[in-house]
Order: sequence, then structure tokens, then C-alpha cells
Amino acid sequence: MRKIKSILLNFIFSLQILLIFLLFIESRIELPVWLQVIGRLHPAILHLPIGLLAFFVILLFAKNEFKKKAFTKVTSIVLLLTSFTTSITALFGFFLSRQADYGPDALSQHKISGTILSILCYVLVLVFDRYEKTQTVFFGLSVLAIGSLLFVGHTGGTLTHGENFVFAPLKNSFRDIPADASVFQKSVFPILEKKCISCHNETKAKGKLVMTSIAKFKKGGKKGVEWEVGKPEQSRMIKYIHLPLEDDNHMPPDGKPQLTKQEIDLLESWIKSGADFEIKLADLMENDSLKILASAMSTVSGEVETKVYGFSAVSEEIITRLNTPFRSVFPLYQNSPAVQADFFIKESFKVKALEELKEVQEQLVVLSLSKMPVTDSDLSIIGSFKNLEKLNLNFTTIKGTGLSSLQSLKNLSSLSLAGTEVTSESINTILDLPALKELFIWNTRITEQEKEKLIVDHPDILIVTSQFKDENTLRLSRPVLTNEGILKKSEMVILKHSMPGVIIRYTLDGTKPDSISSTMYKAPFNIDITFKIKAIACKPGWYCSDVFETTCFVDGLKPIHAKLISPSDKQYPGEGANSLVDGRKGFTDVLKEPSWLGFRDNSFVAEFDFGIAPQTIRKIVVSYAHNVGSYVFPPTEVEVWASQSKQPLKLIKSFKPEEPKNYSPQRIEALNISLETGVQYSVYKIVAKPISMLPKWHSGKGKKGWFIVDEVFFY
Amino acid sequence: MGNEFLKNRLHITRKHFLGKLGLGFGSVALGSLLIPDLFTGKDELAQTVGLPHFAPKAKRIIYLFQNGAPSQLESFDYKPLLNKMEGQELPESIRMGQRLTGMTSGQKKFPLIGSHFKFQQYGKSGAWISEMFPNIAKVVDDICIIKSMHTEAINHDPALTFMQTGAQQGNRPSMGAWMSYGLGSENKNLPAYCVLLSRGRGNGQGVYSKLWTNGFLDSIHQGVQFSSSEERVLYLKDPQGRDRADSRKMLDNLAQLNDLNYQEFGDPEIQTRMQQYEMAYRMQTAVPELTDLSKEPDNIIKMYGADCLAPGTYAANCLLARKLSEAGVRFVQLYHQGWDQHGNMVGEMPLQAQDVDRSTAALIMDLKQRGLLDETLVIWGGEFGRTNYCQGDLSKDNYGRDHHPRCYTIWMAGGGVKPGMVYGESDEFGYNIIKDPVHVNDFHATVLHLMGLNHEQLNYKHLGRRYRLTDVAGKVVSGILA
Repeated sequence: MRKIKSILLNFIFSLQILLIFLLFIESRIELPVWLQVIGRLHPAILHLPIGLLAFFVILLFAKNEFKKKAFTKVTSIVLLLTSFTTSITALFGFFLSRQADYGPDALSQHKISGTILSILCYVLVLVFDRYEKTQTVFFGLSVLAIGSLLFVGHTGGTLTHGENFVFAPLKNSFRDIPADASVFQKSVFPILEKKCISCHNETKAKGKLVMTSIAKFKKGGKKGVEWEVGKPEQSRMIKYIHLPLEDDNHMPPDGKPQLTKQEIDLLESWIKSGADFEIKLADLMENDSLKILASAMSTVSGEVETKVYGFSAVSEEIITRLNTPFRSVFPLYQNSPAVQADFFIKESFKVKALEELKEVQEQLVVLSLSKMPVTDSDLSIIGSFKNLEKLNLNFTTIKGTGLSSLQSLKNLSSLSLAGTEVTSESINTILDLPALKELFIWNTRITEQEKEKLIVDHPDILIVTSQFKDENTLRLSRPVLTNEGILKKSEMVILKHSMPGVIIRYTLDGTKPDSISSTMYKAPFNIDITFKIKAIACKPGWYCSDVFETTCFVDGLKPIHAKLISPSDKQYPGEGANSLVDGRKGFTDVLKEPSWLGFRDNSFVAEFDFGIAPQTIRKIVVSYAHNVGSYVFPPTEVEVWASQSKQPLKLIKSFKPEEPKNYSPQRIEALNISLETGVQYSVYKIVAKPISMLPKWHSGKGKKGWFIVDEVFFY
Repeated sequence: MGNEFLKNRLHITRKHFLGKLGLGFGSVALGSLLIPDLFTGKDELAQTVGLPHFAPKAKRIIYLFQNGAPSQLESFDYKPLLNKMEGQELPESIRMGQRLTGMTSGQKKFPLIGSHFKFQQYGKSGAWISEMFPNIAKVVDDICIIKSMHTEAINHDPALTFMQTGAQQGNRPSMGAWMSYGLGSENKNLPAYCVLLSRGRGNGQGVYSKLWTNGFLDSIHQGVQFSSSEERVLYLKDPQGRDRADSRKMLDNLAQLNDLNYQEFGDPEIQTRMQQYEMAYRMQTAVPELTDLSKEPDNIIKMYGADCLAPGTYAANCLLARKLSEAGVRFVQLYHQGWDQHGNMVGEMPLQAQDVDRSTAALIMDLKQRGLLDETLVIWGGEFGRTNYCQGDLSKDNYGRDHHPRCYTIWMAGGGVKPGMVYGESDEFGYNIIKDPVHVNDFHATVLHLMGLNHEQLNYKHLGRRYRLTDVAGKVVSGILA
């Protein structure tokens, strides 16, 4: 027995520690499910300590009926059990308190007093061991324990049954509003009752403000009266309501139900008109704003911000089942019963997919079928989604004959029909839908006059026609070349313009193309040597585009071996001579990458060896960067040397390329070197001198310029 | 020695055992109280992601980022005082010793300079808009101009990164990645987060993939950068000699192999990759439909301007952004480079404005006429503002402006933002904010709010800490909510 007692005592002690601990950190705890179940046993097992303590009191009074030893033994067991059940009950109570919304004040009182009771019972057990010596202390503690039991019981009762549960039948209800009640009683007080009184009542009285009776409300809180008669903007109550939600003084506090716009307006209007508690609705002038608001209040009920739907949510399983890559179905937001469905990829659209939405026909409020091949007969399916609010049929294939099946959509407020073939007769069938607010009908078969008439005839519907009108003629964008990089020998050159009906004209000789005489682009063509193309796009009703201009580099003969006689600059080292013949072009705007070789102090000198198969070269093309703003120029002097097998090199061509005359956009240019020798050479050497003094018009005049090269082609 | 330890362990008594057992059991119980899911393997604050927390105003975002920081003083923040005081020194009472960039901190003089471009009032809000933006002026009743933005960074990279990810250093998820994480993809055939780049004709600053990174979120939330070339998404065409059915078969078999791998290693990135393969397969159908501009009616092309047919232009990106957004892409991020006018304001800014003005306004009108503007949030703006004083020497007909993080202007349209409104105010020097400041964190909180997300609840645990787009700050700017 002693052993059990000591184990139990130790256990009870640890429970006290846990209880105190919980008292302080309890708000940071979240409960696992099984503990929630245990917590819910609190209201059941709390009767054990009550009964045991009551029995303990009876024992004390009936002490003399027992033999001394028997009394000690029985009382000891009862106390031990009391202490044990009290601690367990308190612990369960903590678990329960995390699960429901109780008024924080009453709850913390109940928790603190419960913990104290539990500790008192434990102390009683300890003290009773020395009962003989500590009788007075023991009795004192017993009285305390009984007292706190009553208090705990009372606060607990308040929590479960509410304030003044016991005496409620004796009190008058404030709610019986007489028919000729004042505006305050009829309209203002219900707002306070709904949104404020939970914290501003006799028991809680936050900020010492009590709103339950007119007299107390008039007295105000610790900062005085809550309003300035006639000046809502200076009234504390209104100021606090208008503070940002995050502000500590904002009322009602973040997390509590907020006041709606109408409610605020009404409170302001009531203060403005004198904060009169007696005035009646009938006493007010007909156009008084307070009268208007107060009478509106009695008709409008519930929250305005969040729309409440009369239907219930469908199961998550149905939502998951309805989702395919081509049909997204999802609730509007977390815990919302309302559902939206969107369709994608017109090739994959099937009418069956629309029919399947009947599983959510009540819940479906937004449906987008934009660009899907929906036909008029399919609209009858949509007609069964009776809670639909927004329907998007833009650019579908409907003609309008089926629109009458949408007449059942009494909640439809927005309908988009742009880009369809609907006519003004067919949309007449839906114009008197009761909820319709917006209708989108641009790019349809409805004429401008008909649109204007519709707008006049239906002022309550926002009829959206084209937003954009511009009679000016615009310039077309330039055509583009779809080929990329270096063209293969037989590769077809493809020009393109995205706009239908555009004519592309081009030149290959460097002259500017015009809209009449230049070659018209009809089909892809092939050229086997590097060329410069200039092209424009034209279309009736538009100005011809600016000139598109680019150099197309075409694959040439490959030398066996290339070597640099003078090294490239350290800033643009490239990958040595190999960069010149690797078939990779550099980017126009990134010169610091391995395709590019740069020269400034040295001339560019490179040798190309065709080995045992000497070639007659008609043309050499050196591809170089043209970026005048960054000091990157064409060379000032070019020489070509050549030799037949193992003979000394001899100069076969030398010339001075044209120097740029002003700034121009960065680009890649081709340096064309024509050779009319007709002789087969096995080795070619190219020498190109970078500009040694930038011209006078340049911001870096007098300084050295760069020659930057990425590839050399032989034809 | 070791033996003695073992023996000592055997000396444990029943009391010791029970005592230890009690303590051990107690701590386990306590642990499970403090962290309820300790033994379930679940994340204790794990949230339902994929749906808005509350009824959203906006479902999608198009962010027209003007990279390089367009000058607010030449666009939307009209300061006639600067013209009156042109050439005079910036008063110390206004500057208050604020830091400057290294580019002008060495300047001996800070001469004030007014806009060389004319301003006029437009719309019901009477907003002042510069003559360089005549088309945006036409949609002024649809936009909400915020003149009181401020940021913490003073140089492009950190400011840009801050604006996009809520932190000045890289590696945090960007706005689009957070949206993708929080709201998921509306259209399973396209990425939830697409990025489109274009380059203007002014002095440019770089953009880089860290701006559309998923950070520590799953890589499925990363922004997908579209190419500026004719083929907007590369390698979507079936290779020669292989048709769609072959691809399908190959993917199915590959999926089986990947699944085996996933069973063995459990790496979520394997699943991400499988999903990406599937999406890429479906993108083969979805993307050509989107990027084919030849089906757009002539009046739409005219609205955006003919440049919208030239791939890689801002106008083309605006049109594509509309098409992507219409097809349910959650977040379309545009970057238009070239707004960094340290010098040559008079030469470059009109070119930049010309490139964006028409197509930006067209995007607003186009969304509006499709009934999409009320559910699509459009944001236009840069990473900071520009100084009210001239950088370098002030000449008669040209000037430049340095970086100014203390006050700048952006605007938003649609998606639950009050239309036709001007919010916030700067002082008459256009240097400090005097009313309703909006910090970058507040901006993020507001954008999340419009999308139906509570910025304090949308978080992700990484390296032992919960991260948010707004970090530990941010307040919803309720003044601009419709």
C-alpha cells in the first residue's frame, strides 16, 4: 500500500509541475488528436473530485463517529484519490481548452483556479501525514480547498452555460424591442450587440467601456465619452474603427468580425445627427441620411463582403476526378462551396467534358470556354448550371441561335461573347436576364448602329464594345529571317512575317528594296555564298515596314589547318586560330566569348593551309564585329598573301576598306575579299590592320581601335 | 575499463528504471504536446497550398517590369517647382544627408533639374502624366498610380532582387514562384510562371535568371523564360522522323524508370522532373496555339502596334502576356530593359516611352474588353526612382538622373485595385514621401492580398526557419483596394 501511495504521490507531484508549466506556455501548444479526445472527458470526470471533496467534508464532520486509526486511513485514501482525480481533471481541462472558443477572461480564471485547487489538494495530502501536529493548518487548507472548488465550479459553469446562467430567468431581456423603439434601439444597438458587446460588457469591460446599457455607454470608458456629438470624424469610437486592421487600437480587433461599410456609415450618421438615444425613425426627415441608412439596415442582413451561397460544397474526390489537363475545376478559395471550371486546348475539347460538369451543376459559378469549339446546341448544357455568375464564350464557334437556352441562368451577371458570330437578334433573348450586368460583344456580327442602340436601350447593362479606335495608318513591323547561325550549302533561306496578307520584297545587291520593283518573296530560295539581304513587308492599309537587313554567312571550303602568326589580344583571346574555322558564329552583343578574337596592338595575321588539295578561291569573307560605340571598327588595311606548295608567299591582293563615318548600331559585318587570280594556291595568309587612330567625330578620337573577328570563309 | 561501464549499467534498480521510464515517457508526452505532429512525420504548420486563403480579387498577374528604373519625374510625378528652381542647389533640408550612389557622391554640386517634357492632367483623378505616355494617359481611369513607393537598395541588382524576391540578396523565391506555390497552376498545359524579356533603346541593365528563381521552393515553381526569337519556346517541335505517338511511348517508359528511382530514393525532384516532362509534352500543343499571332484580328494587332508581330519586342511580349494570362498562366513577368538614364534623358527616355506606351495601354484595354481586367492585376514600374538633381554637368538641352530609392512611382490596374486613383504623395521637390508611404514589403503584402493570400500565412520552412515573401514585415495597403 505504501509503495502504491508513494508512486501515486510522485506522479501527482509531476502532474502539478506539468500543470504550472501548461499554465504559462499553453498558448503555444497544438494538440494531437488523441489528446483532444481525452480532453473532452473533462466534463465527465470533473464530477469525481467534486464528489470526493464533498465526501471529505462529510468525513471531517463525522470524524468522531470513527475510530482514530480508521479515520486516518480512510481520510488518507480519500485525500489521495481527491488529489489524483483533481490533477487529472485539471490536465484534461487544459486539453479541452485548446479546442473551443471560450471567452478568454472566464477561461483564464477557470484555469488558474483549477490549477490552484489541484495544488491545494496535493498539499492537503502531504499535510495530512502530520495531521496531529498541524491540525489548524490542515483545517485552514481544507476550507481554502472547498472555497476554490466552488469558484472553479462557478467559472466552469459560466464557460459552458454562459454568464448568469442561473439567474437569467429572473432578468428582463433587452431584446424585446417595441414597435416604436428609438433609432438607437432598433438599428444602432444591434450593431453594438453583434460586434462590440462581447468585449465591452460588465464582466469584460475592455478599456472600462460597457455598452450593455444606455447609461453605461453614455458614461464611456477610461478615456471618456466615445463620441463628439455631430462630429463622427472626431469621435474616438469612429477613429478606432477606421484605423488600419494591424493597428493595436483598431476596433473590432483583428480576428473578430469586422464592421461592414453600412454599419460604419450608420454609426457615423447617428453621431452626426446628434447621438440621440431617444429619437425615433418616424421623427426623422424623409431624406435624412440616418433615416435612409437605418431603414436600409433593417432590410439588408448578413455580411456583404463574403458572398454566401445556399448550396453545399462537393466532395474533394469529385473535384479531383473532374480535373484533367484540359479542364481545370477548382473551388474559388479555401472552404468555398462555389466552383470555377476552365477549358484549355481546343483540339482536345469534347462536349462530353462539358456534360460531365453536371456533377457540380449547382456549385459552378464561373465557367470559361474561351476559344473552345463550343456550338449553339452545347449551350443547353450550360443552361443547366443554374448558379452560374460568369460565363466566358469569347472566340467560340457559336452563332447565337442557342443563346435562348441560357435564359434559365437567373444569377448570370457577366457574359462574354466577343469574337463570336452572334447577331443582335440572337442576343435579344438574353438581355432581360435579371442579374446581367456586363456583356462583351466586340468583333461579332452586331453592327455599330445596333451596338449603339443596345447601349441606349439597356442603360443598366454595361455593354462592352471595342475599347480601341484609331484611324491612323500604322507602319508594319519588319519581316524576319527564320534561319539561324551559319547557313549550310544547300539550306533554303526563309523570310517570314506573322501578319496574314503581307507581301515581302527583298534585294541581295545592297540596294534599298521598294514596294514596286524589288523581287517579291514567294518561296524559300538558296544561295551558296555569303550575302547581304535587305527586305521590307507591305500590306494594303498599312505603311511598308522599315528595311530588315542582315548578312547571311554560308558554309565555305574548309582549310585543313589554321594558325595565327601574331597572337590575339589577351582581352579577346578566343580559342586561338581554331575559332576562325570552327563553324561557330559569335553573338553580336557579347564579344567576350570564345568565338571572338580581338586585335589592337598587333595586326591580325593568320595563315590557312589547304594541304595537298590546293584550291582556287574566288572569294574570302571575314566576319567581324562592328560596334563603333565600343571602339570596334573595320580594319584600315587588308592584304592577302598566297603560295603554291611550299613556295614563298606572295601578295595577291591589298585594299583599304571603307571607314565608318558616324555611329551606327552594333552588328556583325562581312569583309568581302574577291580574288580573280584563277590560280590554285595551297596556303592563304590574311593580314588586317586595326585602326590606329579613331576618327575625329568619335568620342575616343586619336586612340587605338579594335578589330574583332570570329570566322573566315573561303569560296 | 569498458567492462566496468557495462557493469555499472547493470546495477540499475527497479526504482531507477521506473524513475527513468516516467521521465522519459513524460518528456515524450510533453514533446508531443509542444509539437503535435512530432510522431506523424508531418510538418506542424503545414498549410493547404493551391487555393487562395479567402475570396481573391485577382486571379492572375502580369508584371510589366521597367528594368533600369524609369524616372518618375519625367513620367507620373509632376514637380513644376523643379523647373522653377532649375540649376539651383538641392537644399540640405530636403536631402538630409541621405546616402548617394558612388556615381554622384563625388559631385560638388547637386543642381535641381525639372522635366524637359510637358505634363497634363487626365481622367477623373486628375493625374498628371507626361507627354511621352499619351496612350497610358487614355487609360488613366483604369489605373491606380502609387507615387509613394520606397525601397532599401540603391543599386540595380539588389533593388531589382528586392522588388522580385523580397530580399536584396539572391536565392529567395521570386513573387511568381510564391504565387505558383500558393495558388498552383490554372492551366496544366502551361507553366504557372512565365518570363518574357525585351530590350529597349536606352541605357540598359542586365536581368538574370535569379530574378525568376524558385529559390528553396520546388523547382516546378521556377519561372520559365520564353525565347525572344521566332520560336518562343525552343525545341518544342517534334524532331524529324519522330511523331507525337513515339514521344508518348518514350515518356511512358521513362516515367516507369523514374518511378522506380523515386521509390528507391524518394527525392521529390524526381517527381518534379516527371511532371515537367509531361507538361513539356502538353506544351507541344498548347504553345504553338498561343504563339501563333496570325490568328489575331487586325484591330488587335493595330491596338498593340505593328511591333507586336516582331518577336522579342516589348509589344510582342505584351500581346503574348495577354494570351498567356488568358490561358490561365498565374504570373507573367515581363522585363523591359533600357531605363537607366544617368545621362541623355532627353534622347533616350522618349525612345523608351515610345516602345512601351502604346502596347501597355493596349494590354489594359484588351484585358478590359475581354472581361478579364477585373480578375487580372497589371503592375507597371521599376526598381527605384531617379534623383531630382542632375548627374554630371547640367547642360542647356540635356541632363541625367542618378538612382533614388527614397521615393518613386509605380502603377497598377485591374484585379481589385481602385481604378482612376492617385495614392501617396511626394514633397514638391520629388525627393521625400510626405503621405502614405508604401514599402516594397507592403507592396508584396498587397499583391498577395489581392490574390486571396494572407502574406503572413503563405510561408515555407527552409533551414529551420519559416520564410515569407514579405519576410517579417509588410502591411496591406488598404487605401488602394477597390
